[in-house]
Amino acid sequence: MVAVAQHPNIKLYSYSEVVGLSGYIGNFTVTIKEKAKYVDYDKCTGCGLCETKCPSRVKSEFDLGLGERHAIYKAFPQAVPNKPVIDAKNCRKLQTGKCGICEKLCPVKAINFEDQDRFVTEEVGAIVMATGYDLFEWEKAYGEYGYGKYPDVISGLHFERLVNASGPTGGKIKRPSDGKIPQAVAFIKCVGSRDDTKGKSYCSRACCMYTAKHAMQVVEKIPGGEAYVFYMDVRTAGKGYEEFYQRSVERGAQYIRGRVSKIYPRGDRLVVKSEDTLIGKPIEVEVDMVVLATAMVPAAGAEEIAKLVGFSTDKDGFFQEAHPKLQPVETFTGGVFLAGACQGPKDIPDTVAQASAAAVKVVALLSKDQLATEPMIAYVDETKCTGCEFCVPICPYQAISMKPIKTRVHGETVERQVAEVNKGLCQGCGACVAACRPCALNLNGFTNDQIVAEVDALCL
Amino acid sequence: MSVETSKGWEPKIVAFACNWCSYAGGDLAGLNRLQYPSNVRIIRVPCSGRIDPQFILRAFAMGADGVLVSG
Amino acid sequence: MKRVGVFVCECGTNIGSVVDAAKVAETAMNMPGVAFATSYKYMCSDPGQDLIKKAAEEHNLEQVVVASCSPRMHENTFRKAMSAAGLNPYQFEMVNIREHVSWVHSDKDEATQKAIDLVRMAVAKVVRNRPLQVSYIPITKKALVIGGGIAGMQAALDIAETGHQVILVEREPTIGGKMAQLDKTFPTMDCSA
Ligand SMILES: Cc1cc2nc3c(=O)[nH]c(=O)nc-3n(C[C@H](O)[C@H](O)[C@H](O)COP(=O)(O)OP(=O)(O)OC[C@H]3O[C@@H](n4cnc5c(N)ncnc54)[C@H](O)[C@@H]3O)c2cc1C
Ligand code: SF4
Ligand code: SF4
Ligand code: SF4
Repeated sequence: MVAVAQHPNIKLYSYSEVVGLSGYIGNFTVTIKEKAKYVDYDKCTGCGLCETKCPSRVKSEFDLGLGERHAIYKAFPQAVPNKPVIDAKNCRKLQTGKCGICEKLCPVKAINFEDQDRFVTEEVGAIVMATGYDLFEWEKAYGEYGYGKYPDVISGLHFERLVNASGPTGGKIKRPSDGKIPQAVAFIKCVGSRDDTKGKSYCSRACCMYTAKHAMQVVEKIPGGEAYVFYMDVRTAGKGYEEFYQRSVERGAQYIRGRVSKIYPRGDRLVVKSEDTLIGKPIEVEVDMVVLATAMVPAAGAEEIAKLVGFSTDKDGFFQEAHPKLQPVETFTGGVFLAGACQGPKDIPDTVAQASAAAVKVVALLSKDQLATEPMIAYVDETKCTGCEFCVPICPYQAISMKPIKTRVHGETVERQVAEVNKGLCQGCGACVAACRPCALNLNGFTNDQIVAEVDALCL
Repeated sequence: MSVETSKGWEPKIVAFACNWCSYAGGDLAGLNRLQYPSNVRIIRVPCSGRIDPQFILRAFAMGADGVLVSG
Repeated sequence: MKRVGVFVCECGTNIGSVVDAAKVAETAMNMPGVAFATSYKYMCSDPGQDLIKKAAEEHNLEQVVVASCSPRMHENTFRKAMSAAGLNPYQFEMVNIREHVSWVHSDKDEATQKAIDLVRMAVAKVVRNRPLQVSYIPITKKALVIGGGIAGMQAALDIAETGHQVILVEREPTIGGKMAQLDKTFPTMDCSA
């Protein structure tokens, strides 16, 4: 992470979003919105003094609500950039005008309550989409797991925060309701995955493995800890993965094949009801905490950013690759490539491999000085074009725009609008040609007279 | 279009096929050796959007019995 | 008058066993604009491509029709052969008499007739081709990466390492994505940050 921030060739816009994009392969113009941070990063040294006395405390998003943060905060101690932002909604000064403690504390006068969103534009030649994933909101779909009513039914990512040494519990596995160390933990796999009725039809690919990891952490970190894993299948297709899973079983994780039908409280514990399909009998396990391996879904806003950049998403909202086997990192839009979980659920090894693949595609493009364009594209006969603009919305690639030309009519020079085809954007589909009423548009290699000649030759 | 007529009347069919789907489908039929009557003649177009209604009318005017547009 | 060369491929026996390639070539000789026509065993092979080159010189050809396999397979091969023969690569049409004829029909007369019709169609098209030139557009040598999780970071670093400029846009205050939230990661169980 630090390597990224320090690399002389990388310019990082954190707390920023892409809000506008135009152009085509080799020649994109992007508009980036830098959200107001209220901290001047040129001055801020990242000392962290400002955070210490901030009176406003809210649930930390980074810790998924398991811990707290201040209104001025770094997401976590090793954040990159290692400088805070002020969350305006929860800052007393910005909401009521009263406070400003952080401003007084800051030794370098970096706090700036007047800060505003900034818009910058940049020119780029290629784009890598790497917007990742979010987790399926199981609370809305799974009534049998309590719709999020029971505080000790958590997701795998919550569990990660609990075992993380720099997490809210300092790495101690404590259950959220009362901070007790859970003796028995149940894991439920495929929550929202491989479930057409309540969730998604696909497999999220990383859950079998991280559940094996979590189960192992329970038996290793908690003295006498028990881990029960409820599963449909164990999928370990990856190098060293089956061995990893076997290790979790050897260390004592208990795997039970069956779909959990209900979770309900009993005293301060939770009862997990299921069927053990291997012996064909119902089973009940009493545990202290339940961890759900929830499905990966596209990141919030993925659909919008795909539309903005101009490529398509698949049936589940993940970014559509140009070919599932042969072009897994390309999109149908020239110069736009995919990396990581934004293209489909995947774990870190696959993500890294795909990111490097996308990087090579980008570098292959950027190492050229010019880009050869296919000449079998549409062209305009300006003398015939009436400027009706009928073709403009027809083009699926937004390749047609209008431009003014000067012509002489009855000895006078007049200006009029005609269509112009952008050579970088036109994909040569010919939709505009069929739509052009005065036949001003034609397609190189598939002209009107060529196709008519073909028809004539066949019907001879 | 001269279609074998010894077996009785055979319709002449002109097909417009999109390079990326139907034309490729025709290739796939070939790869799988799927046999079909020979009285269809395919004109390759870059996209079904390229097909102008005038092409279809032209084919009928020139004596085609059927026109297949596929994309 | 245009000067078209027609080359009918037998593709070994793939085409030759169903379509009478010699007859197709012979018939093509009489099509308007055709100056030369021949059949050959493998047009895509080096000697096959040389044939185009030689015929182009000897018969002063301007345009070429190759009747062989699917253009989706070898159109580029033959466009390159056109350039090598000193011709404009877009003065070329390909006729698919394998996937669309010999592999899907078994009656030799019907198949040969269909091949002839398709060649006539391509000749009618090729004489109306304009010589096209590949054009060039400039490239801004800078990349944009949207999202600063492990995917975005890895891509940004790899691109940056080659000396190109990268702009990395992350909507959260920190980069790292989900991976920064994880503890140890499978399969190696090393730390993730
Ligand atoms: C509980 C759990 C445990 C896991 N454990 C492991 C493990 O042990 N080993 C393993 O290999 N894998 C594990 N995984 C999988 C791993 O998290 C993913 O493979 C990996 O994080 C994918 O990386 P990514 O960069 O594609 O996506 P993300 O990590 O989601 O990163 C995407 C980034 O893009 C940003 N972003 C999103 N939209 C925009 C936008 N519009 N503009 C700007 N920025 C945007 C996000 O803020 C985020 O920083 C685990 C997953 C879970 C849920
Ligand atoms: S001004 Fe806002 S951010 Fe600063 S200490 Fe007060 S509440 Fe916290
Ligand atoms: S006190 Fe000032 S310099 Fe220190 S982290 Fe806060 S804003 Fe930055
Ligand atoms: S040929 Fe297709 S891509 Fe090109 S300008 Fe016309 S409609 Fe757009």
